Amino acid sequence: MKVPLVTLVDYGAGNLLSVVSAIEYLGAKVEIISDPQRIAESSVLVLPGVGSFKKGMEAIKGSSIDKSILYAVKSNNAKILGICMGMQLMGSYGTEDGGAKGLGLISNRVERFNKAEINGNKLPHVGFNTVNFSERKGLFKGLPKSSDFYFTHSYRMLVNDIDGRYATCQYGKDFLAAFQVNNIYGTQFHPEKSQTNGLILLRNFLRD
Amino acid sequence: MLKKRVIFTLLYDSGSFMLSRNFRLQKVGDIQWLKKNYNFSKLSFSIDEIVLLDVSRKNRDVEKFLDHVRIISELCFIPISAGGGICDVKYAHNLINNGADKIVINSLFGNNVDTINNIVSELGSQCIVASVDVKKVKNDFKVYTENGTLLQNFSLQEWLNKLEKVPVGEVYLNSIDKDGTGQGYQKELIENIPNEFQLPVIIAGGAGKYQHFMEGLEEKKIDAVATANLFNFLGSSLEDSRVALLKEGFNLAQWDVNISETIKGCFSATENIIYKK
Repeated sequence: MKVPLVTLVDYGAGNLLSVVSAIEYLGAKVEIISDPQRIAESSVLVLPGVGSFKKGMEAIKGSSIDKSILYAVKSNNAKILGICMGMQLMGSYGTEDGGAKGLGLISNRVERFNKAEINGNKLPHVGFNTVNFSERKGLFKGLPKSSDFYFTHSYRMLVNDIDGRYATCQYGKDFLAAFQVNNIYGTQFHPEKSQTNGLILLRNFLRD
Repeated sequence: MLKKRVIFTLLYDSGSFMLSRNFRLQKVGDIQWLKKNYNFSKLSFSIDEIVLLDVSRKNRDVEKFLDHVRIISELCFIPISAGGGICDVKYAHNLINNGADKIVINSLFGNNVDTINNIVSELGSQCIVASVDVKKVKNDFKVYTENGTLLQNFSLQEWLNKLEKVPVGEVYLNSIDKDGTGQGYQKELIENIPNEFQLPVIIAGGAGKYQHFMEGLEEKKIDAVATANLFNFLGSSLEDSRVALLKEGFNLAQWDVNISETIKGCFSATENIIYKK
């Protein structure tokens, strides 16, 4: 099998080590890259992220990485996996910190869990929770239809308008836990912190 | 529904991993020992989380501890909480940048709440675990800081009430009396957690066999059970514990442990490329 070479997009977002370890565990190669030119030329991208949506987008735009990602994904058909806030940044808009536009790779908006919908549950939503897949193919291949993954977040996307495979998680109400629309993949949970469930999912992304 | 958790705690002192009994430390082995004799990367597939604490009694070498955080984080695919001796925002950041997902504070809550607030504003409240060491004094549970050496003038309930006003994510509650005894968690301590307490609670101190995990996980007020007992859970004991807990119907996360070896290195082009760790 061909050894995938992954570009881990570095825009100053926190801890990248765990993602590197997980990709290397699978025997794939990974490079941490901040140079927009090299990001634009990549064929497999992983977009990590922790922290605030607005600050994340400012960092990405400030270094022109946004244009590189859009070029790679839209013009060069590179595949991309957004993890946690990395997935959120692929949406159209995030309301955190007064709000900011996202990369717009999918049309969904990112909003804070509201008190009514979480039904007495605590925020942030932290820990292993059960994810239900729409189908057991592509990104979700080889996993039980309900599988446990590690989350840590206070903002979420809803399932609306996903024209592809998706997964939901219930925290009071269902929210979007993961999706796969053509070459665009996202997980609200951390596959690199979700034991073999996460490793299987990362393998699926790299193999797909 | 959020899952309950089984946590393995590693106590670190100046390059070695330690066994603790009532907070008195005994050296067990270094990182190589942990990797080989304890088969750490395999063991980690049977737990939900790791807590890694620098409990160095003197001459704390933070750079060396950061190296250990990084090495441990490369060996497992679960969240790691790291701490010990955190007194500023910069060090908290350093722990995160070296592979920790959360940081653990203890004495800082006794001396400098402002710094905790600063850490929270940079990293978020979900990143902060407040560790609380408790000892029974006469008929009251008292809080100690500084590795269990400094008596705080507060009961457990008062301390927890104070903690709820600081934006921390969860509480790691450790019994100094039961620490390392293997006799089971201190039930009375759990009873002393106020019913209306809002934060998730990890109970530690006393676990010696998986039945103790059961006793902890059965408690409504307890979200996670921890053990730091390097000897009682040697071999396949943690693995067997998890299987038994799931069989008993406890609400723990599930994954296929056996597939970890199958998918390791699955993309390697030739057999010569071996997973580097």
